[in-house]
Amino acid sequence: MILYMKSNRLLLFLLPLLSLTGCTDTCKETRTFRRYSPVTFTAAQVRQGIQTEPPQALVNPGKIYTKDQFLFINELKEGIHIVDNRNPSDPKPVAFLRIPGNGDMAIRNNILYADSYMDLIAFDISNPTAVQTVKRVPNVFPNGSFEGGWWSFDPASQLLYDQKVSYVTETTETNCEEGVAPTNWWGGVFFSAQTSAAVNDKSGGSVTNGVAGSMARFALYDNYLYTVNQSAMQLFDIKNPAEPQLGNQVQLGWGIETIFPYKDKLFIGSQSGMHIYDNANPEKPSLLSVFQHARVCDPVVVHDNLAYVTLRSGNQCGGFTNQLDVVDVTNLTSPKLLKSYPMRNPHGLGISFPNLFICEGAYGLKSFDVRDALNIDRNLLQHIEGINAFDVIPLEKSLLMIGKDGFYQFDISNPRQLRQISRIPISRPSYY
Amino acid sequence: MKRLFPYLLVLMAGTGYAQSQFTQPRYVNYTEFGGLFGRVAYGPSIAQTVENRLSFTAQTFNGVQVSRQLAIGGLVSLDWYKTALLTPVGAGLRFDLIRHPQQNVRLLAIADAGYGFAWFNKNSTGYELNGGWMVNPGLALRIGKPSSTAFVMSLSYKRQSVDVQKPLSGVDIQRDEHRIYNRMCFRVGISF
Repeated sequence: MILYMKSNRLLLFLLPLLSLTGCTDTCKETRTFRRYSPVTFTAAQVRQGIQTEPPQALVNPGKIYTKDQFLFINELKEGIHIVDNRNPSDPKPVAFLRIPGNGDMAIRNNILYADSYMDLIAFDISNPTAVQTVKRVPNVFPNGSFEGGWWSFDPASQLLYDQKVSYVTETTETNCEEGVAPTNWWGGVFFSAQTSAAVNDKSGGSVTNGVAGSMARFALYDNYLYTVNQSAMQLFDIKNPAEPQLGNQVQLGWGIETIFPYKDKLFIGSQSGMHIYDNANPEKPSLLSVFQHARVCDPVVVHDNLAYVTLRSGNQCGGFTNQLDVVDVTNLTSPKLLKSYPMRNPHGLGISFPNLFICEGAYGLKSFDVRDALNIDRNLLQHIEGINAFDVIPLEKSLLMIGKDGFYQFDISNPRQLRQISRIPISRPSYY
Repeated sequence: MKRLFPYLLVLMAGTGYAQSQFTQPRYVNYTEFGGLFGRVAYGPSIAQTVENRLSFTAQTFNGVQVSRQLAIGGLVSLDWYKTALLTPVGAGLRFDLIRHPQQNVRLLAIADAGYGFAWFNKNSTGYELNGGWMVNPGLALRIGKPSSTAFVMSLSYKRQSVDVQKPLSGVDIQRDEHRIYNRMCFRVGISF
């Protein structure tokens, strides 16, 4: 009898526990996305804004560039942070170069080329704390995009139409199943800020170039600066680096994202594929072939006869493909897809053979051994999660990585165990 | 279930060796299958949709009877949620609520916990499912002679958490889902 009473008590204890929970599945989806609102500037407003300022904190970093142990970190649409990196464990910001509408840069000798919405500007950076404007080439870029938001310049009215980007995080209750994609789709726009590639060219002599990431839209080769916008490649003659002259324009088709010079070839990543240009005549690159793929975003890096292309959906890129394509470019006129590997949301990538580093956006940084091109997925050496990775530049022994949560430097002497040397954090409490 | 019942009866009838007293630890097994019953409510608060959910579940518990009342052991389950095939692996106990476990009908408290792995789950394109923790407390009825194969029926509460990365599209930067399956779990099976 006593026993039964005891078990009854237990039952009384357990049953409310069961009923309290209600047996209802709860599924919460947290989604972070971009929202755009239109803004208009006059050309004068844009052009007056250039100046050198004291160092500032990173807020919304874009691409990275490095030269002579100095780092150049783009602050999207705002300018460039100049950082003294002679001691990689303690990088010291030295100045902030304010350039309205800046997203890309390239450096030859002591001349920094930067875009400022529709203009290209050349700066003398011999003294990083007192940067001088040496030349402005006006109205060379008709339109462009930052983080999926478009801008366009109307030369007649001298007005610049831009879209301001804000980040929104929403939590919604779902039915715990694989529902359809959320609404507010922004097709037909592209991502602007990504690319990394060790630049080798034969400009030779006393000329020194910096190193860009795989998301770069600027490249230096021989006596030319190559810039790609959404639909064309614009060349600038920089025989005299301080005096860039407008050069040829090559129409590329729509959705051009990144440019990667490798040997005497130009690999151009676009939304529809990878374009390979022969650059034997640097003044007039000629199209060799186009490697077609789904309509997504795709930075490219190349090592020997293999090109590594990451395809990413999301934002302006459209598509639902997130993968790494390994393309055999032994025969440059007919590149062949060797294999595709699924990825999460790959952005920039960098190769320091045999290691390939892939930025997975909000899903961290991956390090692969790519000696066996057909089994790259089995050779994931490390996946650093919990950081936001946008673009990388692999140097000899270190890796520069920029993400929405800051700038990182890793020691890559052991690719299985990247060691963080330093970090420049962003000033916002949360990066979205 | 109806079709399986005769087989279960045969199994139960075939093992009638009595072992009345607890002498030393012995192997016990509970193998059950059944359903996970629940609901889901979703949508904005002014336009909520409520749907019923039913998923198949199977579990095998293998352990030792360490005392007259208590058995402890490890367990492996398979839970077929609609978009997640999970394999919880964990530990649990079976506790006799009635002190003299000599009756033919025994009431047991069950408490299982573990981690639901997504080993056998195949993701749809763009989705990536990661497993999560599972707890499963409840009550069971064991019907059959002590120390022989018996019929088991259990009613429990099962809570399983899962994290899913969802495909990014349009303007998305990050899109993750945290799922908690809160289910009433009804299972039947055999024990020996």
